[in-house]
Amino acid sequence: MNSDVEEMSDSLVRIFENVLLTEEKSLSRGYFSDLSLAEMHTLTAIGPYEAKNMSQTAQLLGITTGTLTVSIDRLVRKGYVDRRRDDRDKRIVRISLTREGKLACRMHSKFHRVLAKRILEPYGTDDRDRLLTLVKAIDKHVEGLLQRYEGTEEENSIRKTARQIVIETDDKIKKKETEDNG
Amino acid sequence: MDDPSGPRERNNDDMLKRKDMIFDDIVRELTQTLNMSPTDITVDLSLRNDLILDSLQLYELVIDMEEAYNIRLPDELLDEIDTIQDVVDLVYKLTE
Repeated sequence: MNSDVEEMSDSLVRIFENVLLTEEKSLSRGYFSDLSLAEMHTLTAIGPYEAKNMSQTAQLLGITTGTLTVSIDRLVRKGYVDRRRDDRDKRIVRISLTREGKLACRMHSKFHRVLAKRILEPYGTDDRDRLLTLVKAIDKHVEGLLQRYEGTEEENSIRKTARQIVIETDDKIKKKETEDNG
Repeated sequence: MDDPSGPRERNNDDMLKRKDMIFDDIVRELTQTLNMSPTDITVDLSLRNDLILDSLQLYELVIDMEEAYNIRLPDELLDEIDTIQDVVDLVYKLTE
């Protein structure tokens, strides 16, 4: 029989992978199949309401403004993001979602909400409270682990890996677009 | 000559007028989305059960109402909505 530690370890990895896979699959079969999961998360970081600036959005996503610029270029071309210079300070670039971008963002938020709703559904109020307390404790613990790497070589290497994944995903999308058009 | 109606009646008239305007906006939006005649749309219709709006159509309506009235309609509030009357009341409350 597996020890508690092994069961916990297996479950954590499985949950992480399966949520990501489910998101990707639901996205590719839905109304917004021209968006990658990374692009959808960029839309979510911008949010459906007031315009954001590039650096605060990049910070929220844990990427550099350079990487964000590449992603925003593509989202502007696809019609999901509107980019304009700040009226008062021309050095600042403001990004906001178009109507189509708002729709995509809200549909994706709904996906997360439905997932959470289904997980909580079988439980009564007391069990829900206990479950939420435990999940929040896990969240806090993992957040703390990440903070240990802030600004270190390891973090830079993690960011590099994340950027590499973004670049590879972009290449895959471009290849697919070329295949679809050709 | 003075208005014979008291302040309470006038407030009530204002409320009804504003609610009518909100309803008209919703009807305009729904007739475009669902290709229906405006006369077929009544306040007691359920958005999901009678008009069978899918999530995307519902969000289209929500986003347009948010922009038109400069309000926010987060999902927590949308959970409470069933009929067109519910939308009218919610938009009215948020713009009061």
